[in-house]
Amino acid sequence: MAEYRLDCLGEACPVPLIKTQKKMEQLKVGDTLIVEIDHSCAMKNVPEWARKVGYNVEIEEVDDGEWEIYIEKTK
Amino acid sequence: MDEVKRPKRKKKNQVPAGIVLLIIVIAVGIVLAGISSMLSIYWIFGISFGFVLQKSRFCFTASLRDPVLTGSTSLTRAVIVALMLATIGFAAVQYSAVSKELPVPGNIAPAGIFTAIGATMFGIGMVIAGGCASGTLMRVGEGFVQQCIALLFFIIGSMWGAHDYGWWADTFFSKAPTIFLPDLLGWAPALFGQLIVLAILFLIAEWYENKKLGSEEE
Amino acid sequence: MNLINSPWYKRIFKDAWSYWTGAILLATLNTAMVAISGKGWGVTTTFAYWGAWILQLFGADVSGWNFFQLEANSKALGQSVFTNTGSVQNIGIIVGALLATLLASQFKIKKLKSYKQFIAAALGGLLMGYGARIAFGCNIGAFFSGIASMSVHGWVYAIFIFLGAWIGSKLLVRYFMT
Repeated sequence: MAEYRLDCLGEACPVPLIKTQKKMEQLKVGDTLIVEIDHSCAMKNVPEWARKVGYNVEIEEVDDGEWEIYIEKTK
Repeated sequence: MDEVKRPKRKKKNQVPAGIVLLIIVIAVGIVLAGISSMLSIYWIFGISFGFVLQKSRFCFTASLRDPVLTGSTSLTRAVIVALMLATIGFAAVQYSAVSKELPVPGNIAPAGIFTAIGATMFGIGMVIAGGCASGTLMRVGEGFVQQCIALLFFIIGSMWGAHDYGWWADTFFSKAPTIFLPDLLGWAPALFGQLIVLAILFLIAEWYENKKLGSEEE
Repeated sequence: MNLINSPWYKRIFKDAWSYWTGAILLATLNTAMVAISGKGWGVTTTFAYWGAWILQLFGADVSGWNFFQLEANSKALGQSVFTNTGSVQNIGIIVGALLATLLASQFKIKKLKSYKQFIAAALGGLLMGYGARIAFGCNIGAFFSGIASMSVHGWVYAIFIFLGAWIGSKLLVRYFMT
């Protein structure tokens, strides 16, 4: 049930999503990845991808134009 | 859409700045209308395009890149829908112009090897720069320094292209065909044929995503 | 401000709209544009004008270039950012996006993270600028408006911009990802 952080601040699309996909592969079931992003498009496509593959997703707006996406590996 | 949780930290509220900007936008529109009504119309169009692109995170680059890179085709399908709707809209405008014996409206240009070369260059460029023409402008507005640099070099590249335009024109453009599909196929086959092709592409995109991301929903 | 907490504000100004909403609105706007002006939405021709005006500021004369002898383009040489419709529209796109971002309270200056991003932006910008000039438009003017206009060049453009995006994706992952 570990928690990992992935810093994607300052990264433009599609880099945050590719990094998230790679990182999620390494995680064990039950682990959570927190992706930090400030790219408004990644704030939409990262959660969309994660939901599509069936993970639990929550988004938190931590600052103006900065988000943290919580992705729980469920399978 | 997921519920976006309330922030822990206290954020600054940028809405007042937004309202000030809105007032400036309206003022500029009025000033431009004083010069010519066409200018203010284009201003309104620009503002609307920028607003819609940003709000919907519409990204032509992603629509062409994500199928390869991430397996997602949700934007690809959205672009196909936009193309279908615009095709119908454009066809109505074009048909009414043609029936009044006016020149055909729209963007109809020669096609040839130069289209292939230019489009390939453009495709490579937009993926590595993180935004196409409209996307670069939109992201400059969002505060991306990277896209400000991309815009600067976009202008330099445009100048370079304009400089070499003569050579391309002499070598290729003059001999290349400009084909308006309804002239070639007739109005109904061109319009419905194009819509059917787009619909098939839509279904392929949907099938592809389900295969790639392995989901049964939707 | 109570307005900020209202569900309407949240839906329209705070949350992202769906891609489909974007698709419908962009198609509508583009159709309105062709109905009013006779031309579909385009972006990049204006960039060549901006470049020309900058060169003119330094005393260069570009009016002899084949590109600027075309009627519409030679007319633009005598205009400015405030009197050229394409320029007003492009600046409108920047301001419109800024407006949407501010009203959502999501504006942030995003600095460069590495030198690789600079090289990627510079190289990408050059390729797009040059490519758009020789192919009669960008992803908007040639791809979106070109296909909507039922012009064959739009379809040729679509095939090769997709090919380019594929090559670009490989390059991005290999050389430009930090």
